Amino acid sequence: MIELSGIRKAFNQGRHNEYWALDGIDLSIEANKVTALRGPSGSGKTTLLTIVGCLARPTEGRVRLEGEDISGLPERFLTEIRRKRFGFIFQQFNLIKGLSALDNIILPAYPTGRPRRELLDRAEELLAGLKLGHRRNAKVEWLSGGEQQRVAICRALINDPELVIADEPTANLDTHLAGEFMGILESLAGQGRTILLTSHDPLVVESDVVQRVIDMRDGKLICHE
Amino acid sequence: MLFQPAIIALLLASALCVLALSASAPFALDVIRRWDIRSGSERQLQLERRTYLFSTLLTFVLALQLAAVLLFVFNAEKMSGMFVGAMCAVGTLNVNSFGFPALNAKIAVFFLAAMWLAINHVDSRARDYPLVRIKYALLLLLTPLLLASAWTELQYFLGLKTDVITSCCGSLFSEGRPTLAAEASSLPPLPAMWLFYGSLGAAIALAAVHGYGGGKQRWAAYGLAGASAAAFAATIAGILSFVSLYVYEHPNHHCPFCILKPEYGYQGYWLYVPLFGATAAGLAVGAIQPFARIAGLRDIVPGFSRRLAAIAANGFALTAAIATAMIWQSRLILLEH
Repeated sequence: MIELSGIRKAFNQGRHNEYWALDGIDLSIEANKVTALRGPSGSGKTTLLTIVGCLARPTEGRVRLEGEDISGLPERFLTEIRRKRFGFIFQQFNLIKGLSALDNIILPAYPTGRPRRELLDRAEELLAGLKLGHRRNAKVEWLSGGEQQRVAICRALINDPELVIADEPTANLDTHLAGEFMGILESLAGQGRTILLTSHDPLVVESDVVQRVIDMRDGKLICHE
Repeated sequence: MLFQPAIIALLLASALCVLALSASAPFALDVIRRWDIRSGSERQLQLERRTYLFSTLLTFVLALQLAAVLLFVFNAEKMSGMFVGAMCAVGTLNVNSFGFPALNAKIAVFFLAAMWLAINHVDSRARDYPLVRIKYALLLLLTPLLLASAWTELQYFLGLKTDVITSCCGSLFSEGRPTLAAEASSLPPLPAMWLFYGSLGAAIALAAVHGYGGGKQRWAAYGLAGASAAAFAATIAGILSFVSLYVYEHPNHHCPFCILKPEYGYQGYWLYVPLFGATAAGLAVGAIQPFARIAGLRDIVPGFSRRLAAIAANGFALTAAIATAMIWQSRLILLEH
């Protein structure tokens, strides 16, 4: 589904503090599978995730989504791809304070022009699926960490993406909530979605839900399992 | 004389254009020589990122040049009170030998910039930069004209001396003078009217054919581009020959600039703005047609071409309607029944 060839990414290029976060990544991510990127802090997991998710551009190399080169696309096309094909779950959730859970969930769907009623129905459906329907109108700052994460998952799914990207999804959760998250992940995988996540949490990378673990260190892949 | 708000604005616009072109020219050369969409090299990715930046910058400065024509003419008209012998923009433009060349260069830049912007627009709608080399090569061809236009304009403004006694429009547009303008002015009203309405009608008809055909008939597109250029020339000739006479209600006053004066209710702008817009749109339709069969543009060019054709048709129709309204309201009897 996604092919990366010769990906390199530099920060502060040409300056005294130039840093190569990724250094020659060749990787193929298969469709309908759960793939985890594992590695210590600074290994380049999140940078790779942002490049796959079109949130950042590589300094060198190409990213192909179903054969189409997406790393060179102008920004307007990337926005469309991000909106329609990817769902993002961030480590800090990045929910908008002051807005209710429902409003946070439907926000990424506003630019698609779908009717508000349809969006609300879909958001209710997603919340009910994650057993959070009773908190639909609560402001997100009133929610617990686990609830916030479930809202973030609903938001990632509002545009029905094929590929869900999650950056350290269990980093802010206790063992119980992390276990719940893995259950949600399993159900998403069961729906036929491709899932790519980063983690160094053994609960995640050693779970049966994760079908492939890719180890990284110093911006390079170590081995493929 | 340079410290007039409009002159400062025009010189700033030209300076911005020259600066942007100077910055873009090395990049354009780099794109022409090194662009390779199949490569994932650092250089190629840099070119891809920068083309977006340069394209936006050039769109801005060239769009500024489109607006500058209007300001240039408005300023020439506004300053006519400062020069002895000047009654309208013609007098201001005649203060030195750079006035009319500067205006002509600005008009040429207007149409060429509009065509480049159309090509840039379709290229930026495609996912794989199909025209990137062509548009930067065209930009390099356009650069000398833009530089010449900026230089001529600067010379013109630097040479504006209030102690010069200039000549008014009466001498330039008098019948019998050995100039193109005078020849157009001496064109008899009836054939000029046939030419005026005929060429505008032909351009509108071709735009309609092209538009209703979904923007796909290439013969109509090229026809529209040619008809737009012809309609522009015929309309200017028509304004010189008879429209101006009806506006001034005077059988011998052919000036195409006095109609821009407040005394005539700025009527000229109502004629010229749709005429220039429609001509630019019509020419742009022709400019993008050679690329209609490129794989990445097959779905983009017809839609955009259709919208441009609609602008051209509406602009020419508006020009004809406004000219007709001017004639209708006039008390001058130019043609005997």
